[in-house]
Amino acid sequence: MNRELESLDAVFREMPDLKVEHTGPRRTRIQVEADALPTLLELLKGRAGYLHLSAISCVDWPDTEEFELVYHLWSYQVSNLISAHTRIPYDPGRYVSVYDLHAPAVYFERDIHEMFGVWFEGCPDQEPFILTEWQGPPPMRKSFDTVAYVNDTFEWREYQPEWANDPSGGKG
Amino acid sequence: MSTDPNQAVACRTVDAEERSLLGRVLDRIADHCRARSLFVLHYCTGCGAIELPPTMTSRFDLERVGMQPMVTPRQADILLITGYLSVKTLKRVVMTYEQMQGPKYVIGLGSCTINGGMYWNSYATIKLLDRYIPVDNYIAGCMPRPEAIQQVFLDLMGRIDRGEAQAWKDYYRRYDWYLGQQQQLFGTNWQAPTDVVGEAIRYRLVGEQTLGSHTAHLERYAPYYDQLGIIRPEPARMKARPQLEVVSR
Repeated sequence: MNRELESLDAVFREMPDLKVEHTGPRRTRIQVEADALPTLLELLKGRAGYLHLSAISCVDWPDTEEFELVYHLWSYQVSNLISAHTRIPYDPGRYVSVYDLHAPAVYFERDIHEMFGVWFEGCPDQEPFILTEWQGPPPMRKSFDTVAYVNDTFEWREYQPEWANDPSGGKG
Repeated sequence: MSTDPNQAVACRTVDAEERSLLGRVLDRIADHCRARSLFVLHYCTGCGAIELPPTMTSRFDLERVGMQPMVTPRQADILLITGYLSVKTLKRVVMTYEQMQGPKYVIGLGSCTINGGMYWNSYATIKLLDRYIPVDNYIAGCMPRPEAIQQVFLDLMGRIDRGEAQAWKDYYRRYDWYLGQQQQLFGTNWQAPTDVVGEAIRYRLVGEQTLGSHTAHLERYAPYYDQLGIIRPEPARMKARPQLEVVSR
């Protein structure tokens, strides 16, 4: 058993139902149910040294009407990256914040709330972050048609072929 | 003053906008000098900024033509937009532009400022920069090489020297239109902290479209806008510029 697995062994004994897959030399993929994910993160932090939540990413799966949340955790002790995958349904689109475990989660959750519309219970700040001027629906949802929005909102400049003839516009 | 040519001392009414011969000569000298000492403020949110270090430094050495980077908008002559602008950064660009003192010039660098460029289908980026602030020169390309940037700087210098680079006046003359375009993105309550209408009066650049439906909500901040009521309703009388007493209020 290699070194990464040894450190995770204590976690896996506590949670035997995890689907664990070693996808690369320093990569571990864990599929976990939504109600068990905070427990997993706490165990990984407390027992296995996965102190660094480097990102939370979100994937929109319109076929099954689910959001997939991916928590990326890094261990400085064994230099291994764990991605913990869980799925939550569109309706109601709410999940629990992990801000109490990892304080940087507030930014990732705020970002996901802005881009996908997921509401995180217990997140201290979910005000607009990047899109402070945005009035529309969450733009990273696959149902959002960005080309149609752009064509509705903005105008285009017609190409003038004479631009190519004299780059200085006749004044150079 | 009577305008009867048989009685009047002066045979014609002097247009307040018209410059005297001495004034025009001084303007030409000022333009000539200004074109040879331009400070450039770079708004480097786009990838085009990577072409500026070689333009500025020893390889192409922009200071040969009297240009140098400036770190603040209030001392800068040229605002160089180096690539795409999102709606959020456009708001900052508008505030930056309005802080610059006239005469001021804007150069849009790269295809993004012309027609959206490679971000044409992004919900977050604007497509036509000249809808929001007046643009003097565009540099096409993704990215334009330092030679192209220099070519445009020389072109702009020539136009300033000849007194042709007057796009910044358009912002005052048609402020209502520009503000309306900005409000489409930022909401109808948007206004910049700068008193653009007051500057238009100061520069004597109040035009037919300086005030309108979009600037209506600004009036509660500046009581002297009421004084402009005489020029607002009748387009035919717009030529009568507001007098300086209005400014002093």
